[in-house]
Amino acid sequence: MLSVILKRVLQLVPTVFFVSVIIFSLQHLLPGDPALIMAGEDKDPAVIAQIRAQYHLDQPLPLQYLYWIKGVLHGDLGESMRLKAPVLELVATKLPVTLQLACMAMLIALTLGVSFGVLCAVYKGRLLDSIVNVVGLVGISTPNFWLGIMLIFLFSVHLGWLPASGYVSPFEDLGQSLKTTIMPAFVLGNAIAGVLMRHTRGAMLQALASDYVRTARAKGLYEHVVVIKHAMRNALTPVITLGALEFGTLLSGAVLTEQIFTIPGFGKLIVDAVFNRDYAVVQGVVLVTATTYILLNLLADLGYILVNPRLRDE
Amino acid sequence: MTTPLLDITGLRVRFQGADGRVVTAVDGVDLSVHAGRILGLVGESGSGKSVTSLSIMGLLPKDSAEIEGRILFENENLLSVDEHRQRDLNGHRMAMIFQEPMTSLNPAYTIGEQIVELILRHTTKSRLEAEAQAIDMLRQVRIPTPEQRFHDYPHRLSGGMRQRVMIAMALALQPTLLIADEPTTALDVTIQAQILELVRALQEKQTTAVILITHDLGVVAELCDDVAVMYAGQIVEKGAVEDIFNTPQHPYTVGLLGSLPRLDQPQGRLAAIEGSVPDMTKPQTGCRFADRCPFVLPQCRTQAVPLQAISATQSSRCLRAPLERLVA
Ligand SMILES: Nc1ncnc2c1ncn2[C@@H]1O[C@H](COP(=O)(O)OP(=O)(O)OP(=O)(O)O)[C@@H](O)[C@H]1O
Ligand code: SF4
Ligand SMILES: [Mg+2]
Repeated sequence: MLSVILKRVLQLVPTVFFVSVIIFSLQHLLPGDPALIMAGEDKDPAVIAQIRAQYHLDQPLPLQYLYWIKGVLHGDLGESMRLKAPVLELVATKLPVTLQLACMAMLIALTLGVSFGVLCAVYKGRLLDSIVNVVGLVGISTPNFWLGIMLIFLFSVHLGWLPASGYVSPFEDLGQSLKTTIMPAFVLGNAIAGVLMRHTRGAMLQALASDYVRTARAKGLYEHVVVIKHAMRNALTPVITLGALEFGTLLSGAVLTEQIFTIPGFGKLIVDAVFNRDYAVVQGVVLVTATTYILLNLLADLGYILVNPRLRDE
Repeated sequence: MTTPLLDITGLRVRFQGADGRVVTAVDGVDLSVHAGRILGLVGESGSGKSVTSLSIMGLLPKDSAEIEGRILFENENLLSVDEHRQRDLNGHRMAMIFQEPMTSLNPAYTIGEQIVELILRHTTKSRLEAEAQAIDMLRQVRIPTPEQRFHDYPHRLSGGMRQRVMIAMALALQPTLLIADEPTTALDVTIQAQILELVRALQEKQTTAVILITHDLGVVAELCDDVAVMYAGQIVEKGAVEDIFNTPQHPYTVGLLGSLPRLDQPQGRLAAIEGSVPDMTKPQTGCRFADRCPFVLPQCRTQAVPLQAISATQSSRCLRAPLERLVA
């Protein structure tokens, strides 16, 4: 078991390296010279040269990469040219916001997706199944921005129950924090819930038709035990993996949703950075997101191995 | 004669297909099994053997199967009890083992857990007692080092071992009826005999009645007390094993026996008889075997053919029975 984990972790090294190279090179393929932007209005050649030297922009690319990666490994993601603040610090203030939003969205998605998926499979072909399927399809195909605007219209403008925008940290005021994040979390969760629901339903239908479920019924187990202990246990493993990947995409920042609800998360940070050619920030954010994504993948993989006795043996 | 343990009358099972077509898989089956006896159920693929046994266990899909008739088990009509009652009986008073040992166990739980949960479901035993009993059952089905195998997941075991686990599970609570639906078809020839021997040994010890579905007439001759032959959803002949083998009274049975593998070749399968099974989506008049029958008469196709007693122990669904008259 331990060797399996170690193997998976080691397999990550080339992936992470590859990702870092891509992130680094993409930056340098973009048009525009950051030194020129930083030098300001008068573009003094001396200043430009000095900036180039300071940020190693005068070195060959592989060397620049080494400087960058060396910093990264020491926790130095560089400095935002625009905000004049360390990238790490920016990431550290925005990440919790995005994380909170992603967790809430995922909770909503899993609760809705899995429970309705299971119910649909159990009541296949009945009214409930049809209704949930239609609602699910509508859910998947509803654009996030539209749903967001509708929610704001209903709950903020019309009913006045929830604030339309802004963000409060849960450490300041938990209740207020939930109020500011519940709508964007629902918007994000809704789209994923539909996907999870369909996968859960499919996997459950397959499991419920399996030979081992027939055995469980032949043993006289109660139907709820058959469904929960025997069918769900096998059906949900791939669904959980899918959930982990969806969670990863949520972390890369829900740009549009954050914009609509003016939530100061990753999405806003990265959009601002791209528009301002704030290379270090873009690199930093993408690197953090990519790494988190890879780690989540790893966790999903390991979780999969953990619940799959057959894989555990290998 | 004593009341049978299981008494099926007029069992009819229709499947509502997604395309709107209705398949009558079982059409008026009458069958009884007496306590402690082994009934061999034979017949071509698709003749309704599995559907009949799944009806007894209440395991047919509720949304597509329509079941009629009466299944008396220990004097209780299973077709009118609720699902809760049926599940109380399943695994406890009656049990079933299947053709596919590779997929019949849940891959996510140890074999020990899968036996223990059955014991806990039907008895008031503690988990510790249930574990001891499960290990004892594994020993009885001759799984080596049962204390260790108890903790194994199914994928670690061979098909033969898994089928032993299924048998251990089925017989753990000493049911009065065991249904074995082609329990050895998926296994190696060498393993097949061992598994059947095991079923017989435990059956004798526990005096369990067994419905053994098989394609192997050699096995029937060796193990069974009674035989029922199914064709196109009906029982075409039933009787004591000696009757069926010595004086078969239905041309289909004769056809099957014509190809009886010699007893020194137990792997033999049912003969291929010329022609094919009638379309089960169409209503049938007359004898279903008429198209393939060498003794067919015009009235065979127009007249309803009931299952009729030939002797005290044997009955046949053939207008021309007893057949001795034909070959004499
Ligand atoms: N769940 C189902 N839905 C629709 N039709 C079914 C279903 N189960 C069985 N049937 C049909 O019922 C008929 C009888 O099938 P059954 O499985 O009882 O045959 P069998 O005698 O057990 O054959 P085999 O020897 O191949 O196991 C077949 O025509 C089959 O297609
Ligand atoms: S009833 Fe007629 S067709 Fe049917 S088995 Fe007997 S002889 Fe053959
Ligand atoms: Mg079958």
